[in-house]
Amino acid sequence: MFAVVGLSHHTAPIQVRERMALEKEQIEKLLTELVAQPEVSEALVLSTCNRVEVVACAAPGVPPERLDEAVQKQLAVFAEALSPYLYRHLGMQGLKHLFRVACSLDSLVVGEPQILGQLKQAVELAQEVGTVGPTLRRATTHAVRTAKRVRTETALGMGQVSVPSVAVDLTRRIFGDLRGRKAALLGLGEMGQLVAKQLGAEGAQLFALGRQPEKVATLAQALGATPRSLAELEQTLLEVDVLVAMTSAHGYVVDYDMVSRLVRQRRGRQLFFVDLSVPRNIDPRLDGLDDVFLYNIDDLSQIVHDTKSNRRGEADRAEKIVLEETRNFERAASAEQVTPMVVALRRRISTALRAEHEKSQRTKLRHLTKDDHDAVERMLDAAVNKILHVPTMRLREAASNPEETAALEALVSTLTELFGLDSDEAVPGRPESMPPKAAKGERRDSRAPVPANEELAASDSPGDSR
Amino acid sequence: MNEQLASALLYFTLVAYSTAATLFFVDLARREYSPEGNLWASRVLITGAVIHAAQIFIASFATDTCPVESLPFALNLSALLTVAAYALIRRRWRVDALGVAVVPIALAFLVGGQFVSAGPTVVHLPRGLLAVHIAANLMGLGLFLLAGAAGAFYIVQEKRLKAKRMPSRLPALDALDTTEHRLLLAGFPLQTLGAISGAAFLTDLHMGQAQLLQVILAYGTWLLVAAVLLVRATLGWHGRRTAYGTVAGAACVVLVLFLYILRGNGA
Repeated sequence: MFAVVGLSHHTAPIQVRERMALEKEQIEKLLTELVAQPEVSEALVLSTCNRVEVVACAAPGVPPERLDEAVQKQLAVFAEALSPYLYRHLGMQGLKHLFRVACSLDSLVVGEPQILGQLKQAVELAQEVGTVGPTLRRATTHAVRTAKRVRTETALGMGQVSVPSVAVDLTRRIFGDLRGRKAALLGLGEMGQLVAKQLGAEGAQLFALGRQPEKVATLAQALGATPRSLAELEQTLLEVDVLVAMTSAHGYVVDYDMVSRLVRQRRGRQLFFVDLSVPRNIDPRLDGLDDVFLYNIDDLSQIVHDTKSNRRGEADRAEKIVLEETRNFERAASAEQVTPMVVALRRRISTALRAEHEKSQRTKLRHLTKDDHDAVERMLDAAVNKILHVPTMRLREAASNPEETAALEALVSTLTELFGLDSDEAVPGRPESMPPKAAKGERRDSRAPVPANEELAASDSPGDSR
Repeated sequence: MNEQLASALLYFTLVAYSTAATLFFVDLARREYSPEGNLWASRVLITGAVIHAAQIFIASFATDTCPVESLPFALNLSALLTVAAYALIRRRWRVDALGVAVVPIALAFLVGGQFVSAGPTVVHLPRGLLAVHIAANLMGLGLFLLAGAAGAFYIVQEKRLKAKRMPSRLPALDALDTTEHRLLLAGFPLQTLGAISGAAFLTDLHMGQAQLLQVILAYGTWLLVAAVLLVRATLGWHGRRTAYGTVAGAACVVLVLFLYILRGNGA
């Protein structure tokens, strides 16, 4: 049983999300405390700028409501008054939500590629802590596979998709090749840094300006930019082609008179302003000047939104893929439920046959050599396989079809009775591969082979630094 | 035999150019960038240009005519030169999308050439000077038309940027501005040569009103382009203002060509 409990840009404003932004150590602590709850068997935490979600698996026999309560209780430890902003998806709805998140269908900008990298990091961290078991491993592997399918079969991930990438794309639409162009970053805002970083990666020469020289110098070093003081703003505006502003200043740092004077001196060279600040740093009247282009955060967000709307058709196709894959997973997981019954049946038949064989070794078949006995063992194994093939298929078929729940119960009950199976070991819903729940404080062995991790590592999605 | 081959090649050229124009339009209309779209358009266009060059070569042999001596031939050659100029600059100046304007211009020249008669031979005019006049004028006008297309694209792209709408997949503003300027710079000396050579035998021609209007428009275009280049060099005007000037110049060029076709009697 899955449960996804969390908050995202859909339910919580930025002020709430800021409160819930978790550092790595906090996530580790949350994971440890989650699996220490008797209701939770496995857990991972996906924490990005736009969402914090706990994906948890219930311990056997725990109803979804208790799992939900247990997760909420732990989240409340990290931030108060979260309840109004939390959403919960239980059971297969939770799985579907996980798949939608992996496919970037639930992202602020649908189709953005960072989320898959962030999911990869979340799984890696949970594995380090030892809170990922076979169920979550299978689910995350399937989620990544679904995301890859969406990328291959739809155009959801094509084109510009985030505010920084739209800003850089617009710069390219104005100046073409950015090699040899000059761009200045005004302020220390994170999104501004992202834009500047991308401009630098495209070959633009960078300048960093701000009120705090030490911080500006550090930032400039990180970006490979030339640091300048705010007093040099006018001179910088004369030189550069792009200015990205993201400061915490109240009021315009770049005013109309300054730029209108400079435009004449620039002799027709275009000047592109990207104002990512709230409140705005650049006088909006500048947009009326010839050869000056000004985009603020709302303008950029609108383009992002329009792009998103244009992708509605692709998103619909992706939703269908998600639904199909969720059903596939559900069927596979249901079929897995009968594994304990199949194992118990096999054990019962094998034990009986081996006992007879051992008895024969001492009596009628004692003249046979060791090789002959080995051959008999192999023959018996093959016979068990053949005998159990049809019952196994029938059991899995009944398990994967929700309409055959009654038939499955009847089959299990009949087989248990006929073969005298131990009802505990044969009960569906507890796959043999599921390890026993870790004791409180005990970490699962993170060195064990982890197919989900391999699948995630093979993903070509870049991780996001958050 | 050569005439039939030249006619066949002309049809193939028309088909290739029309296909290329369609592919350029489809590529530009596509929401997402597809490198294949533009690549195929360019391939078809270049194939068409090779066929076109062969057509001009064979046709000039068949009719024993120098390609720049008669107006129909010169228009035909201008179409080829326009395509060749585009093929040369498209990658270097990153103006691939200009194909959507260039190919229809080439097609117009090519088709227009079929409707323009060679006109009466003006025996007293020196043939060499006439050839220089026609060739320089048509090449200059062709380059101005290309510059006009770049200017028009600039205005469209700038309007979208100012309106805060995601710009279409036209070339970057800066590339369009630079291309427009370079094409004007290249076309201006040719147009000047055309104007000077035309002035040499202007008095020998008996001009009707349409022809007079044509000459006035041609000189007006030359003046307009000169003004655009001058303000750019002295006042540093770039972008939208020069784009409007260039588009106005291109509009004059279209009128001049229209009058040529309308008169139907050559130079």
